[in-house]
Amino acid sequence: MVNRLNPIQKASVAIILTGMLLIVAIPLMCFVTVSFSNATEMSQFPKNLFPSGTVSVLVAPEENNRYTVYYDYHDGNGWTSIITLSDAKKLERHFTRQYAVTVPGEQLLKDFAATRETGEPRVFTYRKDTFYNFTQFFKIVPNAASGLKNSIIVSLLTILISLTLGSLAGYALARYNFKGKQQLNVGLLIVRMFPTVGISIPMAVLLIRMGLFDSLIGLAILYSIPNIALTSWITSSIFIGINKELEEASLVFGGNSVQTFLRITLPMAFPAMAASSMYAFTTAWNDTISALILTQKNQTLSLVVYKAIGTTSSGIQYAAAGSIILILPALVFTFIIRKYIGQMWGGVSM
Amino acid sequence: MNEKKRLISKNATPYILLAPVFLYYAVFWLYPVLAGVREVFIDMNGRFSLTANFKMMAESALFTESVVNTATFAALSVLLQYFFALLLSILLARKFRGAKLLMFIAMIPMAITPTATAIIWKTGLVKDGWINSLLMYLGLIKKQIVYMNVEGMDAVLLLVLIDTWTVTPSVMVILIAGLQGLQVEMKEAAYTFGANKLQILKDITLPILRPSITTSIIMRMIAALQVWSIAVMVLGYSKAPFLVERVAFYKDAIPGVDTSSKLAFTYSFMTTIVVLAATVIYLRVSNRGKKAAERSEA
Repeated sequence: MVNRLNPIQKASVAIILTGMLLIVAIPLMCFVTVSFSNATEMSQFPKNLFPSGTVSVLVAPEENNRYTVYYDYHDGNGWTSIITLSDAKKLERHFTRQYAVTVPGEQLLKDFAATRETGEPRVFTYRKDTFYNFTQFFKIVPNAASGLKNSIIVSLLTILISLTLGSLAGYALARYNFKGKQQLNVGLLIVRMFPTVGISIPMAVLLIRMGLFDSLIGLAILYSIPNIALTSWITSSIFIGINKELEEASLVFGGNSVQTFLRITLPMAFPAMAASSMYAFTTAWNDTISALILTQKNQTLSLVVYKAIGTTSSGIQYAAAGSIILILPALVFTFIIRKYIGQMWGGVSM
Repeated sequence: MNEKKRLISKNATPYILLAPVFLYYAVFWLYPVLAGVREVFIDMNGRFSLTANFKMMAESALFTESVVNTATFAALSVLLQYFFALLLSILLARKFRGAKLLMFIAMIPMAITPTATAIIWKTGLVKDGWINSLLMYLGLIKKQIVYMNVEGMDAVLLLVLIDTWTVTPSVMVILIAGLQGLQVEMKEAAYTFGANKLQILKDITLPILRPSITTSIIMRMIAALQVWSIAVMVLGYSKAPFLVERVAFYKDAIPGVDTSSKLAFTYSFMTTIVVLAATVIYLRVSNRGKKAAERSEA
């Protein structure tokens, strides 16, 4: 057979592929670790490369009912004294903020009391609140919750506009021969290639005049511009492939053209519509620059995270948690459309 | 009469279907584009001027750097991404155990939003970041390396690497799709006639990939010419200036200054011209390719 490789070739292929795997996987793993890290883990070096579920501290009893908390930064200095406290409230706050351990202060004091019996310091291990950074992200970053809501609404509006207009145009391009078809195709390509910034800034002026500045529909209108053209391109190639006889049969049996379109053509074009709407979704979901130009109060999640990176020099772990929320839907959608991406570029199954 | 009416209505159908799109693009695309062009040719005093704003842009801080950086970034990142994508797609197009899983993992960076990409690399590149931690665990370094104060071309190169990490998978997917047209029989025939591996790559694999390559190269170039977010989020404004980075800078960082808005308009006009030039080149190249293919068929 042609494709048979000798052992040396096989080994080098394996090395290259493993290398690729590591180059993709390591940054992702470390990123996940950061987004689940507490404030103390963020300040230590070298950092953990895998997320940890627990925190260990050494607690030594002191006079006047006080306790000293030690933490091991893994920097070779062993246990380092962090803080000496007796107050339940303050202990609780310290554990929440520094270790993401949300145990009531009274409980901590009760646990630490065990050191009094021997008078010797002891190691205590607590479970971290796994989603602490996520709740913190929504708590300390202004607009985070409304940003998430806005992002969802803008994405849905973008899908709606680009699908309705785009599939109409796609159908016309696939089924009819008319004057100016070639020019229209070129025009749609130019619209699709036109840089977003080039349109965003003058668009701001137009939207202000229309009273749509800083509105979700205004953003969706902008995001739909390239996606209408993209949708018409994707759907037209699918409409060409759909059997025309089926449509004619429906017309013969008395369906009007609207019914035919809705009952016969549309369902068959569903995969193309799904793919197009995923593209529309990712445009709206991922964009930052247009949202930066076209909004003030009604920010999208992507813009909120972008601003959070800029403003919080400490606490980047919260921004990281926010961007995990940002990634998840895009990740799900990419794997749904991966089939169609392949189809569009020529029938590969993945 | 009846027949004539029908003919007209049938001819009109595509235009009726296209009317909403035309209307949409007239209001929300053409109008803003023209308004933007008009703005570029009206100077700070409200008078028409062909060159005043361009002169102001050319004299603005970091203009030359942003042009050079944008060109370098686009050229280098596309080159690097195609090298890796081509290598990986040829390797992954073979059938072997685990190919699907590898593909699955390789595609994850595609799904990651630019903001998240920036955080991944920012948390890695800081002095206490995971890159230094990893190198420390592996015993490759003794002291932390400082990456974040890179300047000039080094900063651009760093961003090229980050972009390559993010984008190579999507290029690879397109190339693998293109490779599906490559039949095993063709290769076997070539072998029978005594062709070696390099000849097969040059005379069979690459020609089959050409359409996917030209289309996707231009798409990638257009995206690369508009780089800004990773530059700003990883390094900060003005550290690695690019054309679109300048637009965001004048809109976001110093929005109050009189000239800011004008400069943002002019920079975005400039970006548009550069991108459209790339598009025209693409249309030329793909048409020439098509003609060549037709000629060889005939």
